[in-house]
Amino acid sequence: MEMIYLIFIIFLGGAVATYLLGKINGVLRDITFLATLIVPAVLFYTQVSIGQTVDFSMSGMNLQWGITDFGYIFAYIVLGLGVLAGIYAVAAMKGKENLGFFYSNYILSIMAMMGILFSRDLVSFFIFWEIMTWSSYLMVVFSGKDVQKVGIKYFIFSAVGAYAMLMAIVTTYSLTGSMMIDSLVTAYPGFDFSMQLLIPILLLIGFGVKSAMMPLHVWASGSYSHAPMAYTAVFSGALSKMGIYGMIIVIVSLVSQIPEGHWFREVIAWLGGITAVGGTLWAVAQDDAKKLLAYSSVAQLGYIIVGVGVGTPLAMLAALFMAVMHGLFKGTLFMAVGAIEKQTGTTNFTEVTGLIRKMPLTFLASLMSIIALAGIPPLGGFIGKWMLYESLVGSDHYMLVIVVFFSSTAAFLYCYKFLFGFFLGQEEPEWAHVKEAPAMMVVPMIIMAIGSFILGVFPGLILNPIDAGLQELGYASTQGRYWEMSMLFNEWGDKVVLQPILYTIIAVFVFFFVFVVAKNFKKTRYVSTKDISSSGEIPKAHENLTFSRGFFQPFLRAVEPLMKHQIDPLYTGFGRGMEAIFDFVRRIYTGNGQTYALYAIIFAVLLLIFKNQLFGL
Amino acid sequence: MELLTHILGAIATVILAFVVGMSYGGIVRKITARVHNRIGPPWYQNFIDAFKLYGKTTAIHHGWMQIMGPAFLMVSSVVTLMFIPVLTNGGWFPNLNFEGDLIFLLYLMVFGPLGMALGAGQTGNPNSAIGVTRGLSQMVGFEIPWVMALVALMIQFDTTSITGLMEAQAQSGTWNMFSSPFAFIAAVLAMLGMFRYSPFDIVGAPTELASGPVSENGGKYLFTMMSSGSIFAFVKLTLYVDIFMGGADNLVILLLKTFSIYMIPVLYGIVSPRYRTEQAIRFFWGWPLFFGVLALIYASIF
Amino acid sequence: MINDKNSQKIVDIIQNWARKQSIWVLAYGTGCGAIEIPPTMTSRYDAERLGVRGAATPRQADVLLITGYLTTKTLKRVIRVYEQMQDPKYVIGFGSCTINGGMYYDSYNTIKVLDKYLPVDVYINGCMPRPESVLAGFGKLQELIGNGEANGATKYKENLEWYRANQKKIIPNWVMPEYNW
Ligand code: SF4
Repeated sequence: MEMIYLIFIIFLGGAVATYLLGKINGVLRDITFLATLIVPAVLFYTQVSIGQTVDFSMSGMNLQWGITDFGYIFAYIVLGLGVLAGIYAVAAMKGKENLGFFYSNYILSIMAMMGILFSRDLVSFFIFWEIMTWSSYLMVVFSGKDVQKVGIKYFIFSAVGAYAMLMAIVTTYSLTGSMMIDSLVTAYPGFDFSMQLLIPILLLIGFGVKSAMMPLHVWASGSYSHAPMAYTAVFSGALSKMGIYGMIIVIVSLVSQIPEGHWFREVIAWLGGITAVGGTLWAVAQDDAKKLLAYSSVAQLGYIIVGVGVGTPLAMLAALFMAVMHGLFKGTLFMAVGAIEKQTGTTNFTEVTGLIRKMPLTFLASLMSIIALAGIPPLGGFIGKWMLYESLVGSDHYMLVIVVFFSSTAAFLYCYKFLFGFFLGQEEPEWAHVKEAPAMMVVPMIIMAIGSFILGVFPGLILNPIDAGLQELGYASTQGRYWEMSMLFNEWGDKVVLQPILYTIIAVFVFFFVFVVAKNFKKTRYVSTKDISSSGEIPKAHENLTFSRGFFQPFLRAVEPLMKHQIDPLYTGFGRGMEAIFDFVRRIYTGNGQTYALYAIIFAVLLLIFKNQLFGL
Repeated sequence: MELLTHILGAIATVILAFVVGMSYGGIVRKITARVHNRIGPPWYQNFIDAFKLYGKTTAIHHGWMQIMGPAFLMVSSVVTLMFIPVLTNGGWFPNLNFEGDLIFLLYLMVFGPLGMALGAGQTGNPNSAIGVTRGLSQMVGFEIPWVMALVALMIQFDTTSITGLMEAQAQSGTWNMFSSPFAFIAAVLAMLGMFRYSPFDIVGAPTELASGPVSENGGKYLFTMMSSGSIFAFVKLTLYVDIFMGGADNLVILLLKTFSIYMIPVLYGIVSPRYRTEQAIRFFWGWPLFFGVLALIYASIF
Repeated sequence: MINDKNSQKIVDIIQNWARKQSIWVLAYGTGCGAIEIPPTMTSRYDAERLGVRGAATPRQADVLLITGYLTTKTLKRVIRVYEQMQDPKYVIGFGSCTINGGMYYDSYNTIKVLDKYLPVDVYINGCMPRPESVLAGFGKLQELIGNGEANGATKYKENLEWYRANQKKIIPNWVMPEYNW
């Protein structure tokens, strides 16, 4: 039996089994859940080889499944994150209601994502896409809070994206007569210009929704923060990457027919840039960790879109590397927030403070991820950012460099806010009871944090497959030109050697660690955070001295003009307008047979009058 | 053997940076005093202060992050120093600088302040956190013209490495501050914020925030911060000299050049009052940004 | 090596020299005398040339300068600030009020003799002392530090009971963290 089928059968069977077992036995359910995630992952990495395909036909349509080099990179994200977040989820969701439903949805999401990566034809691509959307929608409304506001928003945007995609698929079918992605790519240059434009734009809408590209991002902050955190790690880390995957696999293989520097590419790149800046600024303004991370995801996906839009080999390399990194660190951060939510019951910075001594491991994982997110060497985030800047400078996108740089500098603000808000600052007696999260939650976080460190030092580990994937898309090999296992070159041949840097940092760090930390830590005595110099006052135990409200107020005041324009009201206005139209339409359908007859007659008359124009008769 | 020279060279560089940075700090205090019509402390006052701080007991900590904060800062300063070409031909200071990269350096420079910010955060003093938020906000402000200037140089010389820029200057025979004047102006205006003299000393405003991020740190903590601050000042000055003034062949020229460029923020600062945070940010998004854009246009046209 | 007695002595001498040359002052402006601090620090008298410099928080300061009368309400804060300072630390009593109450000798709400509550190393008398005498006071403190005689902090630690008893007499509702360094 083909291994690919087996994987999907395990996924489907596991989803059903977990759902049913959820009604019977908790432990059995958990074990089935984990097994359903781990077994296919193992099978995938050991048994499935790149290029292997299976064909079958369904109601007269030829479908093909197979994994490409390129899909393989994303499979790393999906399965790796899926398994780790799954382990985390078992601990995090313990004691919640309706768990069988949650788990089977989780499995379905993972399966759908794998399906998207396997699909070589547009039909199964679309089907899996819909499964993914549905399962994630059910997760967003899982908590049952604010379904009206958040769930509907996500649903409407997904639906719009799906219809756009469906339209593109149908158009493709009518033009080429085939459903294969490859045939679309090969036939694409032969289309006339309007089609050449229409198909990518429709697909871009479809994928842009999932990857939260501005102006299609408005669903993201609400949905990311409403889904259970264990799922949001996958949602933001992997599921949004499917948008990127689609964008790359379809748009790039299509748009690569469009010459580099074409306005269409520029539009995508600039949309990415605006997404990055907007997402970052809004993230800075948030007081809720989930919302902050959600907006930050939007911003990070913006960088990736910039890379995809620019589309030089280096930029693609950067975009894909950042996609992997984003899965790692954002997954970790969402998990950390989940851990904090579980232990304290809230995720608001203005409420929780001073957890560092209570949850040191969570802090460590968050710290590493934040360093990666901020793009500070030697962690992995830097590699992606570096390559992105180099590619932007090298391909003459000067203003875009500044925009991206602005956004990633402003990102330090929310990075600090995240760490300070939760872990640092005053330790309030209110949170004195808080303990470290259970091991099953901490271990995945730590593993992923270490992963982002390893990728920072040995970027080749992941750049190798990315390179193979890019070659498959028709790019020249970047190996030896841009990177080696521990070395990075830029467009002009200047290089950054990572290993000596690492050695230096470690050596110096160890030195000062021994010198300052070990020596002082023993000699000095711990005093509580109430023992601070506050003009000679002695703060009482209940006096809250935490600075968390209006955290970046001066900054926000300075950037106020940029943040005045929000896209949300526009959509709301649009929705209102639509409502008015529908209202009007409802008034047309009066329910009176006579009126309908009148409409029919008017329609026929109009048809007769304009038949020449309409049918060209 | 080669490793040994590397290590010795690295140590020599750190000592040099420490001594120069500290002395500059003392000289600045002296100059400020003279401008105020005072006599001022001796130029070596900073050394005494540092030594005294080191001799003080450090009896308390608010948690391990407070101790790590200064260590982070020191690590960042020293590592950054390792990537800066101190002299054009390497000389006694054979560091990693020939494999350095400007963008890499920009990000490495943030490492320390972020660690420091975490250390300041753990002390729980609200003033520390306020100072940190101000500092980060200000950084977003001045980073924009600064990066514009750097990108302009990168475009002009098709390289992102510091040594590449230095070679380009050596070949053309003119310093970048003359061959790309707008970039220089933008960078110098950004420098005002980078060195945090008035009017941009909003981070550690002593009377307003009780010295901000360092308000809970005395003794050895403060010593570590002070010395790494001095090293960092040397790093930044050398970077400016390297990319705008053609680097330096020997130590005397290096000192001359760094000192003269150091006087810009110092002298501007002595006669200035302090900005509010949003005013400081907006300042950088005014004329410096304008010059940055000019620099970009100038670089992409010529 | 450092534990060796003679080398310890040398280290002490150097350290005392450094301490004497670098005095960071936390000027606790309690009374009217605080007005003399600005002229002492600025152009006219320029204390910075002696290494005297203002410190922003008690953690960084070496010298606590009590400028004038100390109300009973302020005493608690002053003690708190003093205890937050790191060793070695010194106290300068500034103005007649800190010596014997000065013109507030019969006031109900000021303390009269500062030395009963905090170990004063140097007094500067006068009501109010002119900057010249403030500088002279600093000079005296430097001399004491240089000779290793300014050991108020040790005295405080040794006689903590006595100081505490005095302090508690003034401050009825005593809620303070333990002093243990
Ligand atoms: S000594 Fe004189 S000047 Fe000083 S506080 Fe007392 S009354 Fe005021």
